[in-house]
Amino acid sequence: MPEPTRELPPYPPARHAMRLLDVESERDADGDLRGWLAVRPEIVRPSGGPRLGPVAVFVDALGGLRSISAAAPDWAFTADLSIHLLPTGPFDELVADVLVLRRGRRTLIIEIDLATDDGRPAGAATLSFAVVGRPEHLVDIRFDDTPDRHPLSPLDPGDARPDDYLAELGITSPAPGIATVELTPQVSNTVGALHGGVHTSLVDEASASLGRELLGPGAETVDVHLAFLELGRSGPLQAEAVAVGPPSPEGDRITTEVRLVDADGRLCSYATAEVVAP
Amino acid sequence: MSDVEPTDGENPRPRFDRRAPGVAAYLGMAVTELSDGTGPAAVLRGPFAAPSHVVDANGRTPTGILAALVDSISGMASGIAALPGWIVTTNLNVRRAPASLFGPTGTGPLLLDTEVLRRGRSAIVTRTSVTAADDGAAVATGWMTAAVLAPNGGPPEITRPVRPVGFEPVDDPAFAADPDTFFALRDGHAPGEVALDLVDRTRNPWGILHGGAMTVLADTAARSAVAGTPALTPTPGMAVADLNVHYLSPGRVGPVRATARVIGTKGLEHLVRVSVVDHGAGDRPLVVALATVRQGPADAATVR
Repeated sequence: MPEPTRELPPYPPARHAMRLLDVESERDADGDLRGWLAVRPEIVRPSGGPRLGPVAVFVDALGGLRSISAAAPDWAFTADLSIHLLPTGPFDELVADVLVLRRGRRTLIIEIDLATDDGRPAGAATLSFAVVGRPEHLVDIRFDDTPDRHPLSPLDPGDARPDDYLAELGITSPAPGIATVELTPQVSNTVGALHGGVHTSLVDEASASLGRELLGPGAETVDVHLAFLELGRSGPLQAEAVAVGPPSPEGDRITTEVRLVDADGRLCSYATAEVVAP
Repeated sequence: MSDVEPTDGENPRPRFDRRAPGVAAYLGMAVTELSDGTGPAAVLRGPFAAPSHVVDANGRTPTGILAALVDSISGMASGIAALPGWIVTTNLNVRRAPASLFGPTGTGPLLLDTEVLRRGRSAIVTRTSVTAADDGAAVATGWMTAAVLAPNGGPPEITRPVRPVGFEPVDDPAFAADPDTFFALRDGHAPGEVALDLVDRTRNPWGILHGGAMTVLADTAARSAVAGTPALTPTPGMAVADLNVHYLSPGRVGPVRATARVIGTKGLEHLVRVSVVDHGAGDRPLVVALATVRQGPADAATVR
């Protein structure tokens, strides 16, 4: 007789950062995952591909999903992530192939290849997870493991798509190099702290806003290395990006360092990023 | 300093007492503690003299060596934060400042400044900034994650505050040779392939291949893949602008083999994935890395 399945907690809530993205996933017989992210206007960067922030939410979700079976019976928390985006121009769907590189006693490494829907390379990501005992509130949690391609946390029927993804999450940039967000259920994870993908979205916007100031309108963040340090439990949270030296002599790129702190001044994540001119 | 033991269930015994001169002696970075030595989170400074046999013709430190320096000083800061345990590097990132990638900026001696960002029970995260020693120009920034472990034989003895250790002169000519020679690199069978023979001088106190050897290997393989030339052929006007390394398991046997594959291009930059295996240990995966290789102006300096 199948084991009784406990009801999933009400997560993610309506209009959560994850639901606002149009994501589908499919698992193969070995447990490896492929995911698709619809490149809708609300997440597009100036050069035509998806912005780094939404891509981070996407790969964090896929990596997290893959980690569940890879870490079982334990649990895995994202410890750090690296994302590189390549110039692609406009396309319809970002395709992600998720592969477990190493499952150790304490760490899990996942590699993700990103491509356009017509097979061109769109980037790459690597995620590290800390493997821990499964938290009590997740002991009996079950996920849809059916092999078909299916939506991952879709919007509720009738819910409108956002006009602008980062704006819908409440991410604002009051000054070049600064990005802030209130801690709402829409941007929170399962324990009520700032969602890992939203950390990266803040880093993206803080860096891009500095790039717009230093490189010109249309500057975009194209890669990031981010370490998660503490749970962001108090809002508003703020990411502050500073340039590592001046722009390149060609004026086409800057490197940034970004510190994300919560309302109590705790350093919650640290990142370096690259921003390029359009 | 790093790569003590990421393998589950094994705890090697260090060999500080009978240790031959190694990567630390080659790099010659005499680390000083800027903090007072009473707290668990040391703030460290490492001057790097950029000796001519290590740097390129213009005096620029190659990114693989830069990452080895970051690994060394961050490993010490992380290890101090982990006492009475010790650490193993799990993830290392180095991103060069765009204005000092080519041309005269950022050449010559360097200063590395390292602080602890997070000191957890199981992991330590550190940040290192690299500046030019003469004018303070930003050269690179990086961060590193280390896992805390309890090594057999205990951690190395550390006197706080940390003061520079004098390095004895070494007779072995490899210590005055270029990085390819010191780290015992060989051309692979095709562009993007590099072999490394495991020699005593590149092992850490636990007898494992030093993490810095892996970064030099990844740097070399990535540039070779982009240039389409044998690994040890110079790549003028080409530099690794960004290097992200994940350590999967320790290198013990050798030869160690790196294979680099260009994933895609973005203007003058090439995104490259590098896989490193211990061929002598059944091709056990050691490292995965992502590197961004940038081509500079036509007259840019050669980066080894």
